[in-house]
Parts: sequence; structure tokens; C-alpha cells
Amino acid sequence: MDSGTSVKLVIPSEIKLIDLVHAASEKMAELAGFDADDALNVGLAVREAVINAMLHGNKRDPGLKVSVTLTTDHRELRARVTDEGNGFDPGQARDPTAPDNLMSDSGRGLLLMEAFVDKLQFKKRRHGGTEVTLIKLLPVNADDEGKKEL
Amino acid sequence: MKATVRKLGRVAVVDIVGKITIGEGDVMLREKVHELLDAGENRILLNLEKVKYMDSAGIGELVACYKRAKEKDGTVKLLNPSGKVYDLLQLTKLEEVFDTYRDEGEALGSF
Repeated sequence: MDSGTSVKLVIPSEIKLIDLVHAASEKMAELAGFDADDALNVGLAVREAVINAMLHGNKRDPGLKVSVTLTTDHRELRARVTDEGNGFDPGQARDPTAPDNLMSDSGRGLLLMEAFVDKLQFKKRRHGGTEVTLIKLLPVNADDEGKKEL
Repeated sequence: MKATVRKLGRVAVVDIVGKITIGEGDVMLREKVHELLDAGENRILLNLEKVKYMDSAGIGELVACYKRAKEKDGTVKLLNPSGKVYDLLQLTKLEEVFDTYRDEGEALGSF
């Protein structure tokens, strides 16, 4: 894939459209050079960000949209997911692996996002909503990052 | 997602194919397990060999099914979770909750 490729999807908050975003994210990751397992990880992480945006950000209001921008270059895949609702505070999330929360029916989305990408950033938007940025480094760059930390 | 039930002795084996995700797979799993529990089948073995992946909603539904079965004095156990599904069970520490088997005969004998 050429460097600097970018795709933007803007969708209403309808659960049936989540698969579409997952498929696009996974395909973009494949085209960027990630192996099948990492491409699936990207798809799963973006899926969780979109679920959060629809359920917790936009409160399932189909009139409110979720925007997903997928950008790849020779170093990384970057997914930016924004909602139009009141946003959500990731700081309020409970640890779903704590003994008291282990049997909860929900609350694992953030854990999955953190596990499947290299960087995860949350930002409150000035005019409402939350912007989540997920970054997955291509393997050679992930190695470089590791060397820098040594 | 597709789910078909085989009755083997006292155990209902649910063979699941596809993905257990929000809005489709999680709903189907819930309905299938409800159906079994309502029919008095409270020993349930979910065969996850052909499940490609789950999302947080699917994982949550798995936990909800487990709790519902416990309420009916039964249990839900897992058979052959595929690579990504097993990774997710480890990540969420639910491998500590669910009895998980690689061999169907051994799983059936454990109920």
C-alpha cells in the first residue's frame, strides 16, 4: 500500500454497522503489512472503540454518528474513532479482571483495546464527544520502539 | 453465528460456528442457552472449536450464560476454544472461571 493512505467512515449509531467497520479496519491492517493475527487484533480493537462510541458516547441514539478514520503509513496504522454524545470517561472504568468484577456481563472493551494495539489515547472534543486514537505499529517499528526503551 | 445442539447422555453439547459478537452472536447464544435451561437441560457444553473470535459483548454473554446456568443448579463448560477465543479467555481471566476441555469425551465425563 502507498504511504499515507486514509479511509474515513461515518456511520449512524446502529449496531448492525459495527461489522462493516471491523472488516474495513482488518483489511486496512492487512494492506498495511500486518499479518493475519495482528490484522484481526486491529479489527477487534477498533470494533471495541466503535461499540464504546455507540453505547456509552452516543447512548445508542441512531441520530448521532460515529466517525472512524483509518490511516496507514510505513510505520503504523492509526484509527481515530469519535462520537457525538456526552462522551465517556475511561478513568471511570473498573478493572474487569479484579475478583469483584470478573463475573460482570460488561466492562471489558477497554481491556481488549489496550491489549490489541500499541498506543491508546482518549481526548474530550471541544464541542462534545470523545475521540479515541488507536495506534498499531508495524513490526519493524515495534522492534525499534523496544530498542529505544532499553 | 450458527448453533446446533447435540444431546449426549445428560449433557447438551452446543456446536457454535462463526463469531460471538454484539447484536447477533451474543443474542443467538443467549436464546439458545435460555431455550436449553427452560427445557431443563442445565448441563451445557459449548463447543467453541469453530468460533473465530468474540468481542466484549460476546464474552459478557458467555459469563451471563454461566450465571444463568448456575441459578438453575447447572453449569456451562467450554470445549476446544480456538486460538483467538482462548487468548481472550486468558486476557479476561475467565479461564479461571470456566472449566475448559480439549477432549469431548473428557468434557462429557466431567459433568
